[in-house]
Amino acid sequence: MITPENVKAFIQDGLECEHIEVEGDGRHFDAVIVSKAFEGIGMLQQQRLVFQKLGNKMDVIHALSLKTFTPEQWGKKI
Amino acid sequence: MDQNALEKIKKTVTENPIVLYMKGTPQFPQCGFSGRAAQVLKACGVENYVAVNVLADQEVFDNLKYYADFPTFPQCYIKGELIGGSDIMLAMSETGELQKLIQNALH
Repeated sequence: MITPENVKAFIQDGLECEHIEVEGDGRHFDAVIVSKAFEGIGMLQQQRLVFQKLGNKMDVIHALSLKTFTPEQWGKKI
Repeated sequence: MDQNALEKIKKTVTENPIVLYMKGTPQFPQCGFSGRAAQVLKACGVENYVAVNVLADQEVFDNLKYYADFPTFPQCYIKGELIGGSDIMLAMSETGELQKLIQNALH
């Protein structure tokens, strides 16, 4: 079974994250990702970037909900 | 990747102002994210849109991820452009951005 820790590692493997949280039940996962790589691009592109980094790992992850933030957006949020 | 399936998707999203590709139907969604996407459209006051049940169309199910380089369901298209999945739809409906796109598409 895929754990939230696995998903976290998959994402961090390809993307430098300032902050990352992943929760999930083995099939459905929710991730909050803060990365400088998200600067200057829209939400759709940010999600595409994460999915691109995950590549064929998405075959074993049934569903992944993403909330993406730039460090600046995240700073305002917390 | 099946070129015929991609053509079919292109035809659907360009000939209809709002298209939601989802698992199940708006009345009976088969996945929480798809249900949420349909709810967002409903909350934005959209009554008439094309909902495609990807569980009932294997071709589309297999090929939608290639069409706009996005691997998950649901996917919402407005005027032929991929808006995103349920997270993006929800975020854009909170800022009012989604409602603007919908208004533009329908009028």
